[in-house]
Amino acid sequence: MDKQSGYTWKLGMFVTIGLLLFVMAIYFIGKQKNLFGSTFNITSQFKTVSGLEVGNNVRFSGINIGTVEEIQLINDSSVVVRMVIKDEVRKFIKTDARASIGSDGLMGDKVLTISPGANSTKVVENNGAIASVNGIEMQDLMKSVKKSVDNAAVITDELAIFSHSMNTGNGALARLVRDDKMANSVSNTLSNLESGTKGFSENMEAAKSNFLLKGYFKKKEKEKEKKKEELKEQKEEQQEKAEKAKEEKAKEEKEKAEKAEKEKAKAEKEKAEKAKEEKEKLEKQKAEEAKKAEKGK
Amino acid sequence: MILTLKNTFTEIGNATVFAKQFFKEVFVPPYETKEFLKQCYVIGYKSLPLVAITGFIMGLVLTLQSRPTLVKFGAESWLPGMVALSLIREIAPVITALICAGKISSGIGAELGSMKVTEQIDAMEVSAINPYNYLVVTRILACTLMVPILVFFADAIGIIGGYVGINIHGDVNFYRYLTQILQSLEFLDIIPATIKTFFFGFFIGMIGCYKGFNASNGTESVGKAANSAVVTASLTIFIIDMVAVQITDLFF
Repeated sequence: MDKQSGYTWKLGMFVTIGLLLFVMAIYFIGKQKNLFGSTFNITSQFKTVSGLEVGNNVRFSGINIGTVEEIQLINDSSVVVRMVIKDEVRKFIKTDARASIGSDGLMGDKVLTISPGANSTKVVENNGAIASVNGIEMQDLMKSVKKSVDNAAVITDELAIFSHSMNTGNGALARLVRDDKMANSVSNTLSNLESGTKGFSENMEAAKSNFLLKGYFKKKEKEKEKKKEELKEQKEEQQEKAEKAKEEKAKEEKEKAEKAEKEKAKAEKEKAEKAKEEKEKLEKQKAEEAKKAEKGK
Repeated sequence: MILTLKNTFTEIGNATVFAKQFFKEVFVPPYETKEFLKQCYVIGYKSLPLVAITGFIMGLVLTLQSRPTLVKFGAESWLPGMVALSLIREIAPVITALICAGKISSGIGAELGSMKVTEQIDAMEVSAINPYNYLVVTRILACTLMVPILVFFADAIGIIGGYVGINIHGDVNFYRYLTQILQSLEFLDIIPATIKTFFFGFFIGMIGCYKGFNASNGTESVGKAANSAVVTASLTIFIIDMVAVQITDLFF
């Protein structure tokens, strides 16, 4: 008996582990196929299932939650698909969820996708039915492709005629593209135009200094300068007021001894501001002159 | 020519009668439980290290060999599924069966052959012990039941070997690897392969016993019995495999 027990436990271990491996494999594969564990059924009616087969995956939010259990023709225009889905996802599938048939990748298997509805809060029942969305059929796709191909044919025909007339015709555009003489004459015209405008601007300068027209131009300039000066004066007053307010605050905070220094600083600031303003005036005047010159042309 | 053909058919006929006797005796008491368990231990447990090493190497090598081709197609992610499928469907059962043919069939052939030569079997008959029941039934039954379990071990260890092979070049999480394998497996992959292994086991045991039991007198016939047991068992395994795959293909 002792001799026997020496190997029986080893044998028992061997057999147990071996059978456990087999049972585990069966269990996990069965789990993959939804054979074990609690599941529920729902059905959906389609016009066409586009090659969906029993055993294809059912997806919800991109997760595999079940498989297609049965595909049955009811009449000549409708097919009922029954699917087995894990019980744990049932609470997420509402009565207004919709089933559609898609493809897993370009060459992959067909996949039944359940998309959530918007409004319903009622959970779908066991053996309940959900609505379906008809997927894009290859035929429909080909129809729309044909339409755009037909359009493209018309467009390319016209394009061909256009380019032909561009190459062989005698229209202005065709000659512009093809003809060297034409191109040269166009560029000549442009350079003539350039020199013409230059001459014109010189004429205008001359006209400004002419005694007959001088008065007119001077009047205009004076009016504009007056307006600017008024605007600037207003601005300066505002700035000075703001500065005074600041200075008063500062005075309160700081001692009287610093007053003299501050005044100096103020004076400097004012000077700098005035200098800036003067520069701006000059620039504006220049710009106005340039504008006038252009208008004159 | 005709004589060799006739001898072959005689051999097959004798083997069939031998097998028929097994089915007749297996259900009839007395059951030799103790001897059966001992044979299970010798056939199953003692062969495990050999099968484990072979299975591991097969998984590893298969992964490394199929990798370049799959990489060419950009289908590297199919590697676990492919290796597991070929291991479970074909390679693990056949390799394990061949290993068992080499180890078990030859062992049984030599053991029974030497018993026959030294007239121990005759002595058993004289002492009112049914030698067929005691020697043959236990061994064939042990073989039939142990070889499938050895194949399960080979499958599991081969898959671990495949994991090591994949991690030589890439980096795949073990859980992800197992998921990929389970995704590609179906019952259709496991069940026919398992049924097949029972036949492998039965024929390994049966051929070993038949060759040993029918050894002619003389010391050299022991070696002959062992040798021809291995050769015949290996050949039979391939023939059974072909038939089994054909049948599976036909029905599913």
